[in-house]
Amino acid sequence: MIVRHSDTNQPRILVVDDEVAIQRFLRTVLGAKDFQLCTAASGQEALQAAALFKPDIVLLDLGLPDMDGVEVLKRLREWSDVPVIVLSVREREDDKVQALDAGADDYLTKPFGMSELLARVRAALRRTVQQTVEPLFVADDLVVDLSCRKVTLAGKEVQLTPTEYDLLRLLVTHAGKVITHNQILKQLWGVAYIDQPQVLRVNISNLRRKLETDPTRPHYIITEPGVGYLLRVAP
Amino acid sequence: MGFTLQQIQHAASSRFVHHLAALIALGAATVLCELLSPFLLHINLLMIYLVTVVIAALNLHLQSALVTVVGGALIYNYLYIAPRYAFNFEEKEYLATFFGFLVTGVVISSLTKHTRDKGMMLELREAETANLYELSRKLAAACTSQDIADAVINTIEGCSKNRAALFLEIDGRLRQTATSSDLLITQEQRQLITKAFKEAATSESGYQYGNSLYCEPIRTPSRVIGILVINAEWSQESTPDHHRRLIASCADQAGMALERVRLVHETELANNEMARQKLERALLNSVSHDLRTPLATITGVISSVLDEGELLDSWTRNELLENARAEAERLNCFVGKLLDITRLQAHAVVLKIELCDVQDLIGCALTAMQRLLQGRQVQISQAEGLPLVPMDMVLMNQVLVNLLDNAHKYSPPDRPIQIAARCNEGQLVLQVIDQGPGVPEHELVKIFDKFYRIAIPEGIKGTGLGLSICHGIVEAHGGSIYAENLQSGGFCITIHLPLQQSNHAGDAA
Repeated sequence: MIVRHSDTNQPRILVVDDEVAIQRFLRTVLGAKDFQLCTAASGQEALQAAALFKPDIVLLDLGLPDMDGVEVLKRLREWSDVPVIVLSVREREDDKVQALDAGADDYLTKPFGMSELLARVRAALRRTVQQTVEPLFVADDLVVDLSCRKVTLAGKEVQLTPTEYDLLRLLVTHAGKVITHNQILKQLWGVAYIDQPQVLRVNISNLRRKLETDPTRPHYIITEPGVGYLLRVAP
Repeated sequence: MGFTLQQIQHAASSRFVHHLAALIALGAATVLCELLSPFLLHINLLMIYLVTVVIAALNLHLQSALVTVVGGALIYNYLYIAPRYAFNFEEKEYLATFFGFLVTGVVISSLTKHTRDKGMMLELREAETANLYELSRKLAAACTSQDIADAVINTIEGCSKNRAALFLEIDGRLRQTATSSDLLITQEQRQLITKAFKEAATSESGYQYGNSLYCEPIRTPSRVIGILVINAEWSQESTPDHHRRLIASCADQAGMALERVRLVHETELANNEMARQKLERALLNSVSHDLRTPLATITGVISSVLDEGELLDSWTRNELLENARAEAERLNCFVGKLLDITRLQAHAVVLKIELCDVQDLIGCALTAMQRLLQGRQVQISQAEGLPLVPMDMVLMNQVLVNLLDNAHKYSPPDRPIQIAARCNEGQLVLQVIDQGPGVPEHELVKIFDKFYRIAIPEGIKGTGLGLSICHGIVEAHGGSIYAENLQSGGFCITIHLPLQQSNHAGDAA
């Protein structure tokens, strides 16, 4: 475990990766961007570091020498809500879903650009800062007022069915973050519906028809094929 | 050696019953004669005994039938040849009758016995033929050695009620491939079987006895490949001879079937090997080219920036680094495609079929291609009321992305790309149309082959994998994909996907 101490007000990042090259690269780049850094090269080390170093964010590789990254994630989630961004060479959707279902906040496939990583880190940090959900969500023309269950598009009110509204509310409360099919189905319809994603697809399709100007080029509700959906936040 | 004490006891008691039946028949015949003797000439009463003999020969053992012959002759002599209640062996005429009856009786008995045995044998043969026919039917359908072994064991259990086991030589070791459910082979017996197998391999000799096991080698034209073992406690009603024939036929058929399976397997392996070698060559060519070219650029850029970074002005350095990044992206893309095609090839892709929204599919592909298609006009024509279509959304998204990528690369940037989706005859028809020069007619089929790239146009970077990945994915869905040059100019790739998921789709992956 290597900790680089500097100003205590800087956000603390725990990097879990056994590849020396990646560690070195992240240390150089993130260190230069005013983050406080700690690196761990195995699952055990990562769990220890998470307890001692108390990071604000964890960057986790899935292929660790002693245990699978998803296992680390599960153990971490038993006692911590720290945002976790998975960095992995595994690009298959099943792996993404597994990590997200286990409690990852975001998933980035290697290789990635530095700007992409920094954007995700900042977004995750921003989500931790504003723990309580703002009752008013605004993205371009779309305004969702959670306090009075009102949705407007370019100033005009949109009529949604209760299910559509619940779905939109779920997306709004997790805005900017992918929610897996399973997570949505479990929350909105219950565990019994996990094998019936078509319910979800139909509702997403209806929601898009009401919210998007061109449903084939969705602007607000983005599909992550094979993983889930996310609501785009205003940049 | 094959008989147990129980069977011997059984045989003895059945003989006793038959003798008893013979005596009872004689008694009945005598009572009948006594009743009829006042009305008939005594010579006619002999017929009654003769009938008794015939009946006994039909139903009882030969020995019991002979008991009725001798008994009948004696009783007739004793009762109906004067003097009554005494044997008379002196009068020549009566003696002739006595011996005549004796000879006729014996002849009838043995003839009847012979006919009966023949009938039984025919029945057995017929059952055996039916069983063997059934076996050959099963063996013809069998695809693995296990199927064959099971079929043989079933047949032997079915027609001889004996327990059996089949051992096959696999990788130089004799393995118990199939066994009757209630047969247990001891270590001692196993050694015996191994020995019998080894002996069968060197000599022509058929079978081996010992430890209540009967072993029949299974031969192919070239060698002995296994051994069929019967738990040889022969049942009373059929002789070992009959069993031997049956077992030999079973072993012969099994040998032929196993040989067939082996040859089919070998041909398959040879074909796979050939295809693999061909692919490997293409792969190596492609890998060396497509991996090294971007690596060359990246290495060149990095070394020049490291070595003479201070000498370069910032515009040149940026230009160089930008170039390296683009090449790295290309390399990553190529590795991704190589992984995809390898997974498809290795049948490692398991389709996750779900009902999907076609509009969402098109949306996802366009989002993925957003950066590349910037400034390009893309027209979407989607039929009203398209149903949800069963597909693996991730893979089909990849197909559409590959097709859009091709359309973008191979058509002038100022011409639109069209995406069309509609339903036709229970199928989803998905088309990607560009306004490019198209593909020469004779190459239309080949473009779906791995690492195939059309000769023109110059300077376009591709992997030659995109379309073969599309082909693999669509086929795994039970659909079809084809390319055509449009009459009106332009190039169109059409995909058909079944709206109803058939069983085929899952397997094909």
